[in-house]
Amino acid sequence: MDYDAQLKVQTYLDGELPPSEAREVANFLARDKEAVALLAELRNTRQALVGTEIGVTLPESREFFWSKIQRDILFQEKTQPAKRPVSFFTGWKRLLVPVGAVSALCVAALITLFGGSPASTIETAVADPNAFTYHDFSTGTTLVWFSYPAEDNSVDAIPPATIQ
Amino acid sequence: MTDKDHSSAEDSKLVRAAQKGDMEAFEELVARHRDKIYARAVSMMRNEEEAIDLSQEAWVKGWQRLHQFQGEASFGTWMTRIVINLCLDQLRKQKRQRTDSIEAMDEESGGVERHMPVVTINPTAGLERNELRQRINKALGQLSHEHRTVLVLHEFEEMEYKQIAETMGCSIGTVMSRLFYARRKLAALLTDLRKSD
Repeated sequence: MDYDAQLKVQTYLDGELPPSEAREVANFLARDKEAVALLAELRNTRQALVGTEIGVTLPESREFFWSKIQRDILFQEKTQPAKRPVSFFTGWKRLLVPVGAVSALCVAALITLFGGSPASTIETAVADPNAFTYHDFSTGTTLVWFSYPAEDNSVDAIPPATIQ
Repeated sequence: MTDKDHSSAEDSKLVRAAQKGDMEAFEELVARHRDKIYARAVSMMRNEEEAIDLSQEAWVKGWQRLHQFQGEASFGTWMTRIVINLCLDQLRKQKRQRTDSIEAMDEESGGVERHMPVVTINPTAGLERNELRQRINKALGQLSHEHRTVLVLHEFEEMEYKQIAETMGCSIGTVMSRLFYARRKLAALLTDLRKSD
């Protein structure tokens, strides 16, 4: 009996064969003594394992075991930072600030393409990716857009500053 | 809920209370299911101290994730899956740290189970329950953790091949091979133990 046939016998025992294959294995078992013996061995092993975990008890008292769990739960709740509730206004700021930044970029790009001079640049400081700067050297205009994370309420989003 | 209410309440009621922050309700759930969770951890880890630690960790995680429990499975089953995953993580860490023996590598590569003679006499027939459990435990301890895990998940957790494959992060074919090896090896070990009587 080859290995694939042996695995098929196991799969048949475990009820994981589709009906057509299960019938094939049943027919095979009807004529192959070695397969029948293997099936019996697998079945005996499976039967031997039934109830092995019954009667296994945790060797600590209810109170002691619970005290450790409770201590860990309270410790973790204490050490994890409490999530601050997000206000409605803060929630909208989170959406509007990036939308505003993209709008400012689009406006700056349009000015450059259709109204700006070739001598204009848009740049983003590597150190502060939340700041966009638009220079138009011909008109001497500089547009700076700062956007900061809305959840840091100590720093409100600063409206764009136009420097001439 | 009072203590008297807790002890007589069904699991579902205790879970709902615990989900609202009733730690006494959760303590009652721990008391009811702690042995089962511990037994599963022992089956997988084969070490009582590790099993206690992992059980404890599982309960803490259970409390933290209680809001995710929707009642699709029983609470005991849900907790068992948590401890199984913790055991699997721990076994993977240990495997990375362990130097594999030649025997372990042979077992991993497989093949020997294909040629083992079939055990024709039931090696556990006539044994008392306690004696049988001791022999099973001894034999399980001699399997590699991959083979033991597949056996535990299939025989004790009653998972199908596909579920075991997803849990262990391997193919269904690998599950079938490991299960076959584990069963055949177990039969051979139980026979050896019987012969030494």
